[in-house]
Formats: sequence, structure tokens, C-alpha cells
Amino acid sequence: MKNLKNQIGKSAVILLGILIALIRPFASGSQSLPSGMEIATKTDIRNDGENVSRKLTMELIDKRGKSRTRETKTFRKYFGKERRTAIFYETPSNVKGTAFLVYDYPDVNEDDDQWLYLPALRKTRRISASNRGDYFLGTDFTYEDIKLESKLSVEDYTYKTVGKEMIDGKETYVVVGLPVDKETEKELGYSKIKAWVDAENWMIRKGEFWDVAGNHLKTTYIKDIKQVQNIWTALTVQVKNHKTGHKTNFTFSEVDYTTVIDDDFFTQQTLVRGL
Amino acid sequence: MKTKEETQAERFFYAVTQRYKLILTLSVIFIAGAITFLPSMTKDTTTEAFIPKDDPVLLYRDNVRETFGLKDPMVIAVYNESGIYNTETLRLIHELGERLKTVEGIDPDQLTSLATENNITGTFDGMLVEPFYEIENLNDSTASIVRDAIADFDLYRGSLISEDGTMALVVAEILDSHDDKGDEIYKAIVELTEETNTTNELLYVAGEGAVSGYMATYIDADAQRLNPIAGLVITLILFVAFRTLRGVVIPNIMVLATVGSALGAMAGFGVSFFVITNALPVILIAIGVADGIHIMGQYYEEVAHNPGLSQRKLVILTMTKMWRPVTITSLTTIAGFLAISYTSYMPPMTYFGIFAAFGVSVALVYALFFIPSALMLLKPQVSKPMKDAVKSDAFGNLTSKLGKVVVSSPRRVVGVAALTMLLAIYGATKITVNESRISNFKSTESIAVADDVINAKTDGTTYLDIKIETKDIEGLFQPHALRKIEALQQHLEDHPLVNGSTSIVDFVKKMNKSLNENRDEFYVIPNDEILIAQYFLIYSTGGDPTDFDNYVDFDYRLANVRVRMSQSEYVDEKVVQEAAQKYIEEHFNDEQITANLSGKVALDYQWINQLANNHSKGVLLALLAVLIVASLSFRSLRAGVYTVIPVIFGVAIIYGVMGFAGVWLSVGTSMFAAIAIGVGVDFAVHTVDRMIFFINEEKLDIDTAFKAFYKTTGRALLFNVLALSLGFGVLITSSVPPLLRFGALVAVSVSAGFAASITVLPAIIYLLKPKFLRIKDKRTDTASIKKGELDLVA
Repeated sequence: MKNLKNQIGKSAVILLGILIALIRPFASGSQSLPSGMEIATKTDIRNDGENVSRKLTMELIDKRGKSRTRETKTFRKYFGKERRTAIFYETPSNVKGTAFLVYDYPDVNEDDDQWLYLPALRKTRRISASNRGDYFLGTDFTYEDIKLESKLSVEDYTYKTVGKEMIDGKETYVVVGLPVDKETEKELGYSKIKAWVDAENWMIRKGEFWDVAGNHLKTTYIKDIKQVQNIWTALTVQVKNHKTGHKTNFTFSEVDYTTVIDDDFFTQQTLVRGL
Repeated sequence: MKTKEETQAERFFYAVTQRYKLILTLSVIFIAGAITFLPSMTKDTTTEAFIPKDDPVLLYRDNVRETFGLKDPMVIAVYNESGIYNTETLRLIHELGERLKTVEGIDPDQLTSLATENNITGTFDGMLVEPFYEIENLNDSTASIVRDAIADFDLYRGSLISEDGTMALVVAEILDSHDDKGDEIYKAIVELTEETNTTNELLYVAGEGAVSGYMATYIDADAQRLNPIAGLVITLILFVAFRTLRGVVIPNIMVLATVGSALGAMAGFGVSFFVITNALPVILIAIGVADGIHIMGQYYEEVAHNPGLSQRKLVILTMTKMWRPVTITSLTTIAGFLAISYTSYMPPMTYFGIFAAFGVSVALVYALFFIPSALMLLKPQVSKPMKDAVKSDAFGNLTSKLGKVVVSSPRRVVGVAALTMLLAIYGATKITVNESRISNFKSTESIAVADDVINAKTDGTTYLDIKIETKDIEGLFQPHALRKIEALQQHLEDHPLVNGSTSIVDFVKKMNKSLNENRDEFYVIPNDEILIAQYFLIYSTGGDPTDFDNYVDFDYRLANVRVRMSQSEYVDEKVVQEAAQKYIEEHFNDEQITANLSGKVALDYQWINQLANNHSKGVLLALLAVLIVASLSFRSLRAGVYTVIPVIFGVAIIYGVMGFAGVWLSVGTSMFAAIAIGVGVDFAVHTVDRMIFFINEEKLDIDTAFKAFYKTTGRALLFNVLALSLGFGVLITSSVPPLLRFGALVAVSVSAGFAASITVLPAIIYLLKPKFLRIKDKRTDTASIKKGELDLVA
């Protein structure tokens, strides 16, 4: 019962945020800064395409500067609020053909489904449902980071606007987010986040993360923000884990929002068949 | 008639006594100055301090640790007699981990327990990488799932959970920034466990990090409690010897000057206080007190013989007679310490030798300048027990009686000594070189109990780390490389002293099994390099990027095999180390893959081996240095040889006692020979010097000379030995094993040195009449000597 109340409460806040964001367009030069929730909502409702296909190069760098690069082709499509992603590895040669499929359900309490096709085993294997705070494919991003893709979650945090700063020559709002409750904090693995949100296109340009013990955990930089087929797109995302010294660089190319991806594409059969 | 030397000495002390105020002022300023450095003294309680910083084995160990993020762990063991797989115990394991994260100095990201590790399981259609349990979903049925999971995961069985399922370890690591706070962190963890409510569980705290972190504090605490008591006992004996205030105060100021300057100099030069540095005050007290006893004894002797002389004349007379033995004892001791310092492999021992030698030099300067100056402040004073020039007190009578025995049956004395020596040498052959840090704790100490329990239940907390190196990046995906590692592990696990081993191979086999519907026949290394590469990719979908950090490097080129044993003694480590080395050389290394040993086992092996190799060399060199300096000082090689005899005797006795008592030659006990030499030589020098004085200078015939020797020097030496052996005997009351051994063996070594100097050495002199003594015995009837019929005490 209490849970339900919370849900309703949360939804109300979100709705209110959206309403405020829509009704009160941001007036440049005004003294008062938009509220944290307004900014978060703006990022959340930003269009990121119904579906997208692109090349993703993942560069993993350890604390000694050794790096490992993996090139993939990735596909993502919304099925209502459900989100499906398929990743096909192209290099290095020993993982070529390996493919990864995720069904991400809108209800945070419902485990996602994940499969991996291992060509050397010639089998598709279901793998553990990931927690939102789990690291994604050996990178320094968590599953939740990947899912949000340069958006702020309006459900998990309460935000406060703390100022305006210039990042990469662009004006940004600085917001600080605190998890709505302890449980969410533990699930996400963050006790605090700070984001620099572009005042013009609502893309996040920089992020800072603190772990549950309050230690500075990660910094992300979002660079190369361009409009691709009229959709604001980040082509470079870098993250540095301050605790482990690891770094991950994501580089996107051949981004395509217009070619419609078939619903049937996101199946285990496609994993086996490959591209 | 005075010799030229005496006239010069007289002139010198004439000058000294003239400037006594200046000298006293300088003496006080020097002590005060040295003491101001003391607060900047740093402590180094680490085990690594005992190994030279540039030692290749230490550098390699650090490199392996850095590559794989390994550290000496702090371990909490959770023991539940009826098994740990129940909601309550699993919850406790989780909670202990969470609370450990809040202990200052503990790395919250490097916690390992059943509650933090990921399980790999096979399902009918896939593989899961997930925590063994989540605290939120914990109930009796999940607890039994955890039991099954551990039963199916070799890697954690024995290393994290005991084979019988009654003990689980929670392993924490210390942050680099808190490396020197091991003792505080240990105590904080103990406190944490004491505050934890348990019903069916017992908690134990141990681990190599705790042991080495806490050991130094543990020893220091008792040493710092008992060393002052030793000082007090020594003071008491000084009082019994002289029954005057100055007879007590002056030697104590000597001690303050020597100990203060040596420790002050250490602090000033930025040299840390190590565990063995606790022995430095001890040795300096011994030397400072000895100089004081001999000079003050001579002073009271002069007062008794020359009533009515002015204080200045008395002081000059005393110093003219005592400067030489005091100088020679100091020079020989310095030579001995510098020789030990020069040959030592361990930096703390090197520093010990240097600063002990420095302290002894200060003692010499204070003996020659400060004592006469201090006496100048005072009026002539009679010491009650020494007031009579002819008669002596009970102690003097005792030594005189001893003298009679020596003179009446010198052959018997030498014979007994020779037999004792042979026995000691036989005992010395039984000495084992060994070291075990945990044995420095009293066996009932909770950390020792914990170590025992953990080692009995699990695969053990002593590690041999084997660093595997392949030629190319991702070389460890090669089945050939993995099979070699598997064979190496198998070979070592067959060794009776090895309880288990872990490596990346265990994960590969586990993943292969899991991805093949959990079929047991797939618990093998797959024969496909590409498949292995893909296993690691699949693992990364569920695990953390750092999960394998302790096992492989980022490039999958280097791997660490951790071999566990429950015996932490060097003798056992040596066997395993050598077996591993042999296998690696004969069966492992090839062009594609090589292995090198590291970890605690390899480090101890190097360290204690070096100790064993250098120790006898150091002792021999120290003896040689003492011989050379004594010979030069007495301007006679023969006198030098005679001086060394009691020292050799004392050293032999020490090793003999160690051999018979089963005391290992270890880091701590390797100090004993140095102390036996440093202190023993003082007794011998006094004997030889006084013999020269009475026979060559006072021109006494041998019988009268011996009589005088036993009455005066004998008495002084007796108090010297009483002060030191009773003083350090206090340490025998310590419950800390190394201190107890230290106290007992210092007492033994001092007593042996004393006994040899006052019995064997005079007996040999009496028998052989060496040329450096111009003995003009009226009854130089060789026949009568042969018969041993001499009766000198008429």
C-alpha cells in the first residue's frame, strides 16, 4: 500500500516536472535558474530516436595505460517503453561474431533478459539479469548509464540546480542529484551525481559520480555533440573511474536514426545468424 | 716510578679536572641537544623494513603485488560449529563486511567474503554470474543454495570457506596510505568483532596484515614497560655496590647520555625505530653501567687506600688507572658492532651496529670527561662496603674465594671450561634457522589463537605467489599455457605442506562447465583459444571489470597462482619454495611461458636464508675485529688472543643454550651474538688490563696480583654482571616470547662472559704465563706448577 502511494507520488512529481517544463519555456537571461527537476525532465523527454543503428568502438584502458579496443555494431529500438539492444562484435578476431541481446523492461523491478551468442561454442547463452548498477561488458559504465544515454533519470533522483558553467564553450546548468531513497542508492551504486546540462539542447556534457560511501567515483565527458538527422547525438563519451584508474572511451560513428529496424531483428536467431 | 704513559695520562686528567665546569656544561648541553631530536623519531614496524629496499626479491614481490593488487590481508573468521550456511550466519558475514568498510584505513572496495564474491553457475540454457547471495533475499532456502554453490566452486572452497563449511573468512585490505597503521586497524577490527552480537558464531581476527601490523606494537609495548624496570633493578644493584648517591647517579647519567645520543642520532638521521631497536637501549645501558661501575669502583678503592688526598688528586689517580681499560673496552665493542653492521643483510641490524657503536663512543667520551668532571663537583667520599683498604665486603670476599679456587686448581677450571665449551658447541650444532612471525605472540594471545584456528580450518594464510609470464598479449587464452599452470598447481597441491592453490585456470574450467549445462566432464580447460577469449567476454556481462585483477593482468599476459599453506615457519616455507623452484625449472619454463616465485614464502626464503648465510660470517668478523683492536690496544697479539677467549666462550654458550633449548636462530635471536660479543669483551678487557696493570706496572708477583685482581676487579666485574643479568633478567617475566628469550639469553651471555673472564682466562694466564705479562714469580719452579701445588694465599 505504502509502495503504491510512493509510486503515485513519484509519478505525480514526474508529471508535474513535465508540465512545468512544457508550460514554462526557459527564458534566457532570466535571473532565476530552472529547477533541477525541470532540467532533468528536459533531458528525459529529449528525442533520441525511435530506433538507431551505429558503430560503437569501445576502448578500455587500465590504470597503467594499457588499452583494449573492441569494435561493434549496435542496434537499439523502443518497443513502447521497452528497450531492446543488440550488439555485434567485429574485432578483435577472437570475439568476432559474438553477439549480445538485451530486453530492458520499463518496470525497474522486472529483471531484464540477456543473451549472448558465442560463435566458438556455437550456442546462444542466457546470461545473468544485470542489476542497474552492474558494470556493462567490462567497461566503466553501468547498465543504467548505458540505458540513460545522456539523459537524467527523473525517477531515481531529486535534483537541485546549483549554478551555470561553461563547458567546451557552451553554457550549461549544473545540477546535483541525490537518490530518492537508500534502496535506489544501493541499486545504482551512486550516492550523488552532478551533471552539466547544455542549456540549449539539453544534452549532458559532463557528469560526476560518487559511490555509496561518498568517495568520488567517476567522471564522464560527453564530447562531439552533433545533430544527426535532426537528433542531438553524442559521438564521444569518456569515463574515468577514479577508484580503479580504469578509463573507457566510447566512439560512435555511422549513426543512423532513419533506417527502420525490423522488430524481428531483436531475436536470438539474429544473434546466431549475425549481420 | 711512573711510566711515560702514566705521566701523560696524569697530565691529561689534570687538564680535564681543571676545566670540569666547562665539561659539565657541555655534557648537559649535548644530552639536552640529543634528546630534542627524539620526538622526531619515526617507527617502522613493517616486516619489509628488514629487507634492503633494493633487494631484487623484494622489488619483484612489490611488482607482483602491484600487478595483481595483492596485499597482506586482515582476516575476520566467522566460525559456526554447526555450519555457516544459515540465514543468521550469512547475514553476519554480510554485516561484518559492511562494518569493516567503515573502519578507517580499510579499503572498502577490496573486501572479499561470501557476501561480496560472484558465483558462476550453469543453467540449462546459459550461464549466470551473480553474487552468491543478496542480503535482501536471504532465507533458509537461499542459504542452502549458497551451500551447493560453494560445493561446486573449487576456487572458494578452502580459501574463503573451510572445506567442512564451518568457517567463512571476511578478508579486508589496508589502504596504501595506512600501511604503517596496521596495529591500530587490527585493534579497531578486534573492537568491531567484540561489539558484534553473535549467538552461534565465534569470531577470530588474524591474517598476515594483522600479524605483522600488530607484532611490533605488541613487542614494543612490553619492552617499553620492562626496560625501565630493568633500569631500576640495575640502579638498585649499583646502590648495593657502593651505597652512595653518586655511585648510582653518575652511571645513570652515563646511561642517559649514551642511550639519548644514540636514539637522538637515529632520529636526527631519519632512521626509524625498528622492532630490534628495542635491544639498543639494553646494550647501551650495559656499557654505560659497566664504565660507571669500574670507574666508581676504582674511585672508592683510591679513597680507601689514600685517606686525606684531595678530591682532585683522587680523581686523577682513578682516571690514570681506569682510562685504559675503559678506552679498550669501548674500542673493542665498537669494532665488534661495526663488523656486525658491515656484514648484516638486514638494514635494521646495520643501523643497530652503527648507532650502538656511536652510543659506545659517546659512553667513552663521557667516561673520560664527564665522570671526572662530575666527581670534581663533589667532596671525597667513602663507600661503606669499600671503606677498608685491606679487608673487603662480602662481595669482595666472594670473588676472592673464587680466586683461591682458580689459583689452586687452574687445570680443573680450564678442564671444566673446555668440557662446557665442547658441550656448547655440540648444542650449537643443533640450532635450527627458523622464523615465524606468529610465534612472537604468546600462544594464548587472541591473534595467535585466531591464526591457529584459521590455519587449521582453511587452506592457510601463508602464500607462495607464482607469477606466470607469457610471451604475447592474451597469451593466457592459449590452452597450452593454461594446462601448464594447471599441472603446476596440481603438482604443488600434491605436496604435503600445500593445502590449496588458486588461479585463473579455476575460473576458465568453471566457466567451461557452466556453459556446458553444468556437466562435470566439462570441468576442464577447453582446447580452443578463441572459446576461452569469449568466456572472458561473457563473464564481463555479469562481473565487475576488476573481478580478475588478482589473477590476471589487463592484457591476459601475466597471471598469478596463489599457493596456500597453513605452516608459516621458514623451515616449511623453504621446503615448498625449493620444491616449486625445482618443478618450474625442470617442467614449467619454456619459450612461451615462464614462472617466478614471490609472495610471503619467497620473501621469507630470501630473507632468512640471507640471515643464515651472513650470520656466522658476521660473528666471525666481529670476533676478528675485536681481536685486532684488542691486540693493537694492548700492543700484543697474544694479549688480544687472551681477550678473545672469554668472548668466544660466551658466544659458544649462547649458541649452545639456544641449541639445547630449541631456540631458533631467527631475526630476533640473531642479535644475541652481537650482545654476547659487545658485553663479553668488556669483562675480558678488564681482566687482561688489570693483569697487565698489577703485574707489569705495579710489579706485583703473580700471587699478589691475582689476590688484588679478585678483590678489586673481581668485585667490580661481579657487580657488573649482577646489574646486567638481574636487570635484563626482568625481561624473563615478560609474557612476550621474544622478550622473554631476549632477557634470558642476555643474562646467560653476560654471565658466561663474566664467568669466563674471571675463571677461565685467569686460569689460563696462571698456567701459561703469557709473555705479554712480565711475570716474575719468586717460586718459578716449573715442577711445582706442573703439580698444581701452588698455594698463593698464605
